[in-house]
Amino acid sequence: MSRETLQESLSAVMDNQADELELRRVLAANGDPELRATWMRYQVVRAVMHKDLLEPRLDIASAVSAALADEPPPTAVAPQRGIWRSAGRLAVAASVTVAVLAGVRFYNQDEITGVQLAQQAAQPVLNIPQVSGPAMLVGFNSTAEQSASPVSAVGQGQPGWHEQRLPAYLRQHAQQAAMGTNEGALPYARAASLESR
Amino acid sequence: MRFLSLGVLLVGGFYSLSALASDGAALLQRLVQAERTQSFSGTFVYERNGSFSSHSVWHQVASDGVVRERLLQLDGAAKEVVRVDGQVQCASGMLADQLTDTQLRPGRAFDPSKLSQWYDLRVLGDSRVAGRATTVLALVPRDQHRHGIELHLDQQTGLALKSLLVNDKGQLLERFQLTHIQVGEMADEVLEPEAGCRPVRSAPAAVQPAQAWSAQWLPPGFSLNSSSERRSPASDESVACQVYDDGLARFSVFIEPLNDATAEDVRTQLGPTVAVSRRLKVVSGDVMVTVVGEIPLGTAERIALSIHSPGEARP
Repeated sequence: MSRETLQESLSAVMDNQADELELRRVLAANGDPELRATWMRYQVVRAVMHKDLLEPRLDIASAVSAALADEPPPTAVAPQRGIWRSAGRLAVAASVTVAVLAGVRFYNQDEITGVQLAQQAAQPVLNIPQVSGPAMLVGFNSTAEQSASPVSAVGQGQPGWHEQRLPAYLRQHAQQAAMGTNEGALPYARAASLESR
Repeated sequence: MRFLSLGVLLVGGFYSLSALASDGAALLQRLVQAERTQSFSGTFVYERNGSFSSHSVWHQVASDGVVRERLLQLDGAAKEVVRVDGQVQCASGMLADQLTDTQLRPGRAFDPSKLSQWYDLRVLGDSRVAGRATTVLALVPRDQHRHGIELHLDQQTGLALKSLLVNDKGQLLERFQLTHIQVGEMADEVLEPEAGCRPVRSAPAAVQPAQAWSAQWLPPGFSLNSSSERRSPASDESVACQVYDDGLARFSVFIEPLNDATAEDVRTQLGPTVAVSRRLKVVSGDVMVTVVGEIPLGTAERIALSIHSPGEARP
C-alpha cells in the first residue's frame, strides 16, 4: 500500500468522507509513527483554518496507551467469587434502577414546583414598592406632589381592578384615622407616608 | 404560721401585680391628660417598611382649653394639617382627598380602662428619647387579633415621645419617634398654616348607607365606629365603608360591586397596614369585600370571610 494512498485515506477520515475500506486502512496503520505525525499535522491545519483553539502537543492517545500499559492484565475470575460477582452486578443494576426512579421522581417534583410557581406568578399579586421608586436613591423625595399610588401591579400592562382601588382604600382608611381622631401625630404620619409615591 | 406567710406572699404578690397593672393604666391616663393640657412643639420621624419621613409638630393648649395642632412634613412635599380640637381646619394636597363629611367628626377618646381589657399593660422600665428620661410602657395584646405597642412616655410631662408597633413575631412594623421636643407655650404665629394648606372639601356622603352589611365575626373588643357610603375611586359605583376599632387599633371594611369584573382575591401588607380582598357572591351580583387595617393578616382574612349582606346572613 503506497504512502500516498494511506495519506489520502487519512485525509478522507479527517473530513469524515472515508468509506469502510479507507477507515480500515487507516486503523490498520495505527502503529505507524509517520502516519500519526501526519494526522496531528492535519489537525493543526484544520484548527487554524477553523480558528479553533488547539493544544498541538496534547497527545491523549499516547497518554491513554501508557496508562493502559501500566494496568495489570485482567486475571481469570475464581469460580467461588462468581456468585458475589453476579450479586454485585445485580446490586449495581438495582441501584441504577433506584437512581433512575429517584431521578424521575425528583424530576417530576421539580416539574410540579415549577408549575406551582408559574401558577403563583400568574396570579395578579400586588407588589408594593419597598423604596420610593425603581433605581432611585432610597431617601430621595421629590418636592412635587405625588399622586401616584403606593400599590402597583405586577405583570399585566393595564391596571387591574385592585390596582385602581386599593391605593384609594388605603388612603381613605389612613385619612379617616388621621383626621377623625384625637390620637395625635401618628395617624397623620401614617397617612402622609401613603401619599408620597 | 407557714400558711400565714404563704397567704401574705400571695396577697402581697397580688397587690404588686395589680399595682403594676394600675401603673400602666395610670401612665395611659396621664398620656391622655398630657395631650389635653400640655403645650409642646418638636420634630419627629416616622418609619415603616418602605417609607421614612420627618415632621414638625406644634401642639398648643390655649387657656380656654382649645387644642390647636399643626403638623408639617419636613422632607419631600410639604404636607400639612391643622386641627382645632380634633377638627381638621385645613390639609394640603391629597392628605384629605378621600374623606367624607361623616368621617370628619372627632373619634372616640383614648380609654385606658377599655384598652386594658384587650392589652396587657406592662411597665418595662426606663429609657431615653429626644434627650429626655422616659418610661417604657408595653401594650401586649391578650389575643392574636391585634399588634403590640411599645410607648416611651416622657417622665416629666407624660407625653408619648416614641411609639413602636410590633407584630407577634417581634418584628417592628412602624416607628414614631420624636427627635426634639420643647415643652411650653409658643407664639400663635407658628400655628398658622402655609399657603398650600387648603380648607378640607370633603365628598358628600350618603346620609344612610343603602345596604347594611354586617360582619358575622369581629375580633373581640372591636366595634363599629362609623359607617358611610361614597363613590368608588375607579367607577360610578357606590362603595360602602365601615370603620371598626378596639380603642387603639382600627380597620376599615370596603364593599364595592364587581359588575362581572374579573378580580382575584388579594392579600397584601404595607408596613403596619394589611389589605385583604375577597369576592363575595350575593344575589344582586358579586361584590368585592376589602378589609384594610393595622391588624394581623389572619385576622383581616377572617373578617373578610365573615362579611355578609343582611338578606343572606348565615344563621
